[in-house]
Amino acid sequence: MSNTEQTDEPTTTYEQAREELADVVRRLEAGGLTLEESLALWERGEELATLCQHWLDRARERLAAAAPADDED
Amino acid sequence: MTAPSSPEAPWPVRTVARKVAEWIGRLGEVWVEGQVAQLSRRGNAATVFLTLRDPVADLSVPVTCHRDVADRPGLELSEGARVLVRARPDYYVARGSFSLRATEIRAVGLGELLARIERIRQLLAAEGLFDVVRKRSLPFAPAVVGVITGRDSAAERDVLVTARRRWPAVRFAMHNCAVQGPQAAANVIEGLRKLDADVSVEVIVVARGGGSVEDLLPFSDEGLVRAIAACRTPVVTAVGHETDTTLVDHVADVRAATPTDAAHRIVPEIGEQRRLVEGLRARARHLITTRVEQQERWLESVRTRPVLANPERLLHGRADDVAQLRTRARRTVVHRVEGAERDLEHARARVAALSPAATLDRGYAVVQRADGALVRDPAEVADGERLRVRVSGGRLDVRVDREDEEP
Repeated sequence: MSNTEQTDEPTTTYEQAREELADVVRRLEAGGLTLEESLALWERGEELATLCQHWLDRARERLAAAAPADDED
Repeated sequence: MTAPSSPEAPWPVRTVARKVAEWIGRLGEVWVEGQVAQLSRRGNAATVFLTLRDPVADLSVPVTCHRDVADRPGLELSEGARVLVRARPDYYVARGSFSLRATEIRAVGLGELLARIERIRQLLAAEGLFDVVRKRSLPFAPAVVGVITGRDSAAERDVLVTARRRWPAVRFAMHNCAVQGPQAAANVIEGLRKLDADVSVEVIVVARGGGSVEDLLPFSDEGLVRAIAACRTPVVTAVGHETDTTLVDHVADVRAATPTDAAHRIVPEIGEQRRLVEGLRARARHLITTRVEQQERWLESVRTRPVLANPERLLHGRADDVAQLRTRARRTVVHRVEGAERDLEHARARVAALSPAATLDRGYAVVQRADGALVRDPAEVADGERLRVRVSGGRLDVRVDREDEEP
């Protein structure tokens, strides 16, 4: 189903991933899907969640990178 | 008329003195304006001696007058006072000294002075020199500040000390000069030209402590006001007390109440700026951190949703269905098989019952014609016809031989 090869910097932005993830959850919860569709959707959901996590971790890193200056004075 | 003088017929001193006195007398009576530089009364002598100085040019003239003239009630003659003098030129032949003989002295009142300043103000205002639109804004943190003030004056100290405390990086281009008396205006103008020409100077402060109207008069000098107006560099004035207003205050880009206030206006306060920056930085950081936290919470909530958290739930449902279906399927099949077996048994029983095998076992035989038809009546078969006989043990192929046919 979705290609899972990991480029170093995902092209999907955080907002895009977030939007799609919300949609995936909505459809899964709505139900009425074939087994295959549910599995595929679930896999996509996991992938998107990882992507969101990636972006948030990066944000944390960048914040931390700026932090040391604060603790100076 | 005396004969013209010559080396051979020189005039005696008295003649020259008389002639000079004559010439001088021709001036006649004049009204003179000036500033009383010195005033000397010798005991109760009838004559009072004073020196009258020109308000702007650096020269003066001796004046004598009767004591009553100097002591006229309401005059309060004092050194430094601006006066109007009605006098005649007087040549004291005995010693050849010139002076003005005053017959009336009027103080140039404060009102007079202020009136004159007001006239100049209106003139310059009409030219638009005081228009707000001309006012230039001050640089935020000037590297070099030009300062025009009296040498080692309190004003100088206030500006320098306060400015350095607020913004240690500031440097000064000093121009110390007279800030009082006839030369003041010219000195300040020169300072302005010098500092304005200096490109590194980003703002010029003209500072002077408090003083009387006369003391501050140079700072309402038309020439000085025009010089300030002509400056490219912004000018801040801090002249006199808060309540004093001189014309330079009107033309300046910024009027500071005091020299210290001037320092506050020209340089930011470093501690304050640092706090400001730190505050902004902290706020920015807080905003971005809350934003990230918010998103992390959102992601957490999404991840804990059942559909994502335990997908096997999907399978469970289905697995149960499958399991149920399977059992039902199996049950149905089993029934069917059993049914089938029963049928088989019946069938077999019937077959067994109908089946000739048992009969054959009991010794009977079945005769069939070539086409399989059963022979039930000898008449059906012709002589020599080939027949097939089935007995319990197997099959015999025979031919009909009617030898002893009985009819």
